[in-house]
Amino acid sequence: MSTHFAVEPALEMLLIAIAQQRDQAAFRQLFNAVGGRLKGYAVKSGANDKDADELVQETMLLVWRKAHLYDPTQASALTWLFTLLRNKRVDLLRRNKHNLISADDLYLEPESAQSEHDAEPLQQEIESDRNQHIVRNLLQHLPTEQRIILYKVYFEGKSHSEISDELALPLGTVKSRLRLALSKFEVLARQHFLWLLIIQMTNY
Amino acid sequence: MASYHPNDELLMRFSAGMLSNALGVLVACHVERCPHCQEKTRIYEQFGGELIAESDDAELPADLLDKTLARLSDEAEPAPVKVSGNVPRPLQRFLPDDVSQIPWKGMSKAIKEFRLPFGDDEFDARLYKIAAGKQLPEHTHRGREFTLVLSGSFSDNAGAYHAGDFVLADTSVMHRPRAHAEQDCICFAVLDAPLKFTGWFGALVNPFMR
Repeated sequence: MSTHFAVEPALEMLLIAIAQQRDQAAFRQLFNAVGGRLKGYAVKSGANDKDADELVQETMLLVWRKAHLYDPTQASALTWLFTLLRNKRVDLLRRNKHNLISADDLYLEPESAQSEHDAEPLQQEIESDRNQHIVRNLLQHLPTEQRIILYKVYFEGKSHSEISDELALPLGTVKSRLRLALSKFEVLARQHFLWLLIIQMTNY
Repeated sequence: MASYHPNDELLMRFSAGMLSNALGVLVACHVERCPHCQEKTRIYEQFGGELIAESDDAELPADLLDKTLARLSDEAEPAPVKVSGNVPRPLQRFLPDDVSQIPWKGMSKAIKEFRLPFGDDEFDARLYKIAAGKQLPEHTHRGREFTLVLSGSFSDNAGAYHAGDFVLADTSVMHRPRAHAEQDCICFAVLDAPLKFTGWFGALVNPFMR
């Protein structure tokens, strides 16, 4: 089994450079590293080409403005980028409607600023890397029938009953497949190292 | 800490940014005060991170990076302000700071409502205030009704619900909620159809029928 848990550490370093040195070179690197995939995600979740480009640009501008709020002990760079893209998408979708809700109201920033984590930053950073690594492993090992349901939730926003209609599956089957997928992740919520190791080992 | 939570389906759609306005605000109000659901949300956001990791590397316009660089400004976003008061942050811009100033609309002595203008085609959103100790007529629901208890507490035949609890009722639920005696119970409800009372009394006074 692998003992090295690091997941794309370079992205985290780029974010920190952007936050601390306002480093435009790091920003370019990050843009080139993730811009295309952010667009890929946006397109899969229904954006047309033009909107997807705008979403990438707005998300990257948000990266520049919020980099100092990124806390590597709380989330991997990709997870943090996901939350920015999600929030921008919510705001852009609602822009044309008569409503006042903004994603900032819906999704809380984690309260911990980096400075509050001085105690054992390295330890926590390793754990957040490890979590992301295990999430990746679990996702990669999900049976296709369970993955499809996850995709329908993330990219199409489908509810269980809509998915059951679309795939012509009984509602109970959709629910139990998602539950099977989720039960593996539930363990993560306990944040227990031993459990994490067990999952890790059973996946190799 | 809350005893009743949104189900995994709702939390996942919330984390994916895929809930409609009204349901999104409702789930956000619960998550804001529920460490248990915050933890789950964090895991679902990690899914999102992984889905980006495995996304296709789509082609961007050649000048997008330069256009973006040209728009970088010096100012950094201020850290978020901590939530204060007893109105959940997602609702704050829709309500007066002082909850006692909410302009309730009378429906009956037992229950008053305040409609929330979220611009949602799918759902109606409103606050209900059930007077302390009052019981509502027996009713069922034409569709789903998601309820978050904001303050006070109420009971029905299935259980007792306190501030922070998230309850889902649908057409299979027939109940007579009663607010507990100590204080008025304020609930945030999101419905996909108006309530329908079943008793003969309800048929006469049903304030929800429109």
